[in-house]
Amino acid sequence: MHANTLSNAITTSHLARRASLSSAVLRLGGTRLGGALALGALALAVAPLSQAQEYAGGDEITVLQGFKPGGGSDALAQIVQPRLAEILGVNIVNEYMPGATGAVAWTRLAKQSPDDGSVVSITNTPMLMTNYIMNDAISYTTEEMTPIANVVTDPGIVVVSADSPFETIEDLMDAAEENPGTVTIGNSGVGGDDFFTTILLEQATGLSFKRVPFQGDGPSATAAMGGKIDASFNNVGNVFGQVDSSNLRALAVFSGERLSSLPDVPTMKEKGVDVVAGSSRGYSAPADIPDEVREQLIAAFETLADDPDFQSQAEQRAMNLDVVTGDDYGEMIADMEAEYREIWETVKDDVAQ
Amino acid sequence: MDSSLVMIGLTNVLSVNNIACILGGTALGLFVGAMPGLSATMALALLLPLTFSFDPATGLSMLAALYVGASYGGSIAAILLRTPGTPSAAATVLDGFPLSQQGKAGHALGVSLFASFFGGLMSGIALLTAAPLLGTLVLEFGPVELFAIAVLGITIIGSLAQGSVISGLLSGGLGLLISTVGMDLTTGTPRMTFDQINLFAGIDFTVALIGLFSVPQALTLIENSHQGNKVASRITDRLVPQWKTIKRLMPNILRSSGIGIVVGLIPGTGGDTASWFAYNEAKRFAKDKSGFGKGEIAGVAAPEAANNAVVGGALIPTIALGIPGSSSTAILLGALMVQGILPGPNLLTDYGDVTYTLIWAVIFANIALLVVGLAFTKMSVSVTKVPDGFIACAILALCIIGSFAINNSLFDVGLMLGFGLFGYWLSKAGVSPAPMVIGLILGPVMEISFQQSMLIGNDSFGVFLESPIATVLLIMALLSILQATPLFRWLRRPFKRRLEKP
Repeated sequence: MHANTLSNAITTSHLARRASLSSAVLRLGGTRLGGALALGALALAVAPLSQAQEYAGGDEITVLQGFKPGGGSDALAQIVQPRLAEILGVNIVNEYMPGATGAVAWTRLAKQSPDDGSVVSITNTPMLMTNYIMNDAISYTTEEMTPIANVVTDPGIVVVSADSPFETIEDLMDAAEENPGTVTIGNSGVGGDDFFTTILLEQATGLSFKRVPFQGDGPSATAAMGGKIDASFNNVGNVFGQVDSSNLRALAVFSGERLSSLPDVPTMKEKGVDVVAGSSRGYSAPADIPDEVREQLIAAFETLADDPDFQSQAEQRAMNLDVVTGDDYGEMIADMEAEYREIWETVKDDVAQ
Repeated sequence: MDSSLVMIGLTNVLSVNNIACILGGTALGLFVGAMPGLSATMALALLLPLTFSFDPATGLSMLAALYVGASYGGSIAAILLRTPGTPSAAATVLDGFPLSQQGKAGHALGVSLFASFFGGLMSGIALLTAAPLLGTLVLEFGPVELFAIAVLGITIIGSLAQGSVISGLLSGGLGLLISTVGMDLTTGTPRMTFDQINLFAGIDFTVALIGLFSVPQALTLIENSHQGNKVASRITDRLVPQWKTIKRLMPNILRSSGIGIVVGLIPGTGGDTASWFAYNEAKRFAKDKSGFGKGEIAGVAAPEAANNAVVGGALIPTIALGIPGSSSTAILLGALMVQGILPGPNLLTDYGDVTYTLIWAVIFANIALLVVGLAFTKMSVSVTKVPDGFIACAILALCIIGSFAINNSLFDVGLMLGFGLFGYWLSKAGVSPAPMVIGLILGPVMEISFQQSMLIGNDSFGVFLESPIATVLLIMALLSILQATPLFRWLRRPFKRRLEKP
């Protein structure tokens, strides 16, 4: 079911909010590793006296963030990491390395990070894979990572301006059928989730739209609001406020079932089009981390998922929890990669003109 | 206008923290402005990365205050040293320095301070009222209209660039070219990245900005540091001007402020243009022109009111349309971008709380300027005596820290130094970096909105003529190009002759 889960990483990369100087962490690889080993030995010595189980990856975890502070990844980190730190009994440090829609941080994770569980990264899917599917110059692959857990998925949504002639999703699809390739659909950028969702819809229905890329979800929604484009394929979390205040009209969502926050908006599945898509964020570690570390991390996320406090905080922030751990997350990533590789093969010549 | 956002902005500014930052920023601006060779733009470029860790309201308040403070500070060196502290204080030298030679340095500085205050305050009010009017058009601005705005912004730079038009165009063109580095926004194809992953997201324009504005300044300071000590005049008379002087100068100050606001509105022009313009007008309106150049106080009030009025004026297109009116506002726009706010017509709606905070900060910074100016002007004289070598080292250190802090990336530090050396070479060749920065900012806007317009308009250029806003803007762009060509002068000749005859 997660095969179509997508990411809006390209969006968040442009929506950097606040780069914190204090969070700049500079380390020299050698000394850091040495320190971690020494501290690890110390922790081992006191282990029997303290908690039942010490985290086998040391007493500090560095989280590589591929986007600037304040974006969607950082928002996730803020609600996940304090709890994770408590569960594992470790300190968690964020290290922001924005660039190339996350690829700078993910290259570091795959190629240059210690595989002892002291470094993990927030991984946005499918941006994690489309990055290197679309660009040969990006050299990391998901084979070089250990998927730990997906945490949230923000479902895709179709929105039009409040005074749009398209009252229902059928209206929009009928218009595309009558005049193929003329209905303009905004997305958050080439390679982003909305871009691929549009293609998925085209492939599932045989329709053809005119895809108009914007620099992020916000500008795409604004263009739809002003009637500059016929519709915007967006994410629920980004446009909920505008839909709620009737500046935008939601025609359909790309979730498996209707959303409790938008009970009147039909799913694409109901309309007979089997496209489920959204933008997901989770955590991954480098490849070949010790089994014990991996299991502890996975267990920590499972504990987190059951925490009612965490669930209500996520709901407050309009985050749609979708916790998928361990091998299941690995499968979700592998399925997505296969699917998007295929999609990109069929459309790349068309896109890259 | 959404009055609730206006009030949110006001309350944001009025926190103890922010008032402290405004006072601090104004004082810092005053000192930086007072140092010859350091411009407001450079100070902003250096301070920008340091504000990343602040919350948006505080960071923007401080930057706005710095800009306002530096606009006045420039006149201190102009009056006392005969060297304009900032380029926009050049006109102030003409009458300010003779006044200080006559022992009236305090009088000149006091009038400069009050003129700056009035100019700044008026432009702040203009900003608060005009920006939202333009802002109501927000939803009318789609890709087609944005493209037209970007074209207009770029053509005006070409036709109004200071010094040689050719070098202005060259600089702007280079900026556009550099802005294409990185992933193509509509196809995802990496361009001119040389498989260097750090270039995929393009060149961060704040990195380029720090390099282009700050490093050449520092190198030039080092180059000239052996040239003897600077001798500053002393302030012997009282600073606070008499009420009747202010009253007599009021029409002049109001006129000059108006000039400042209008000149600020035009993208590509800034304080230097405005202050010369205002100086000339003050001279033209004066009954007795003989005193100008020999210590006429009106010749100090006019440029100073104008260059501070530019601050608010230049922010109007920056805020309402996302098009910077000067290189300094380009940096303020960068500060907004760092806070997650994409430049564009939705600055006043989606991000209204932050934008109105900036507007209020400009108004309050002018009030702070009056306080800080009265308290610190005498002290700032000592700043003008700091050896250039020390200043240069401090600038270079701040450049490196600043460019690293943006993305926590050493690659960016190298890039900044590269831009710095390139900028130094350009300054030797007499090419201004300002059009390049505008090109860097407008390039991506122009490119993506053009591609979007083509998609929306089915590959027909007619799409630009279907939108009345875009048509008007493009006609303005055409006129601005034409007025810089010989053709226009030839067309105008018959009219000119008719005017000259009587």
